Amino acid sequence: MTTALTQGLERIPDQIGYLVISEDGVLASAGELENDERTAGVIMQMVQTACKFRLHGTADPPFKRLSVMFEDHAYLVTVSGQKVFVVKRQSNQREPISV
Amino acid sequence: MESTLEQHLDDTMKNPAIVGVLCTDQQGHNLGCRGSLSDEHGGVVSVLARQAASLMRDPTDTPTVCLESDSGNILMKTHGSITVAVHKMAS
Repeated sequence: MTTALTQGLERIPDQIGYLVISEDGVLASAGELENDERTAGVIMQMVQTACKFRLHGTADPPFKRLSVMFEDHAYLVTVSGQKVFVVKRQSNQREPISV
Repeated sequence: MESTLEQHLDDTMKNPAIVGVLCTDQQGHNLGCRGSLSDEHGGVVSVLARQAASLMRDPTDTPTVCLESDSGNILMKTHGSITVAVHKMAS
């Protein structure tokens, strides 16, 4: 069960850790997010907050993907089938320059 | 001071890819908005930005939060005590 759940996550390029979370808690974790209950908790709260976001005139769910981008890494979050999938990815993104 | 902010909001909306912009304080009070983002979004924007910042222990690295959907991307970032959200259509 756990292998099927995480097979796709392990193949994501530049992935340095992942979490699979359900309402009952962490179902799977690896890499830098292994057993990271704290991050799992914050991300679950963020998903619940983001679900309250509604734009006028749209019946769509508020998001397909939630990303949190830091200077050198990013958390990418998607919800599928009552589970929250979180991938921590190394990124080379730079701050925009002021001109 | 308000007129400078209002001017910045108007200037931001001149970008054809941007359909909404909002500035909020840490309590979720709306400081100014345009287009698709309005008063009711201030709370969610400020809370999401605060929750995202708590993912990192380094307080100097403030994250950008992005909600991606079919109706475009909503980008949020905190600068000091103000959080700015921009609703941008995917190009």
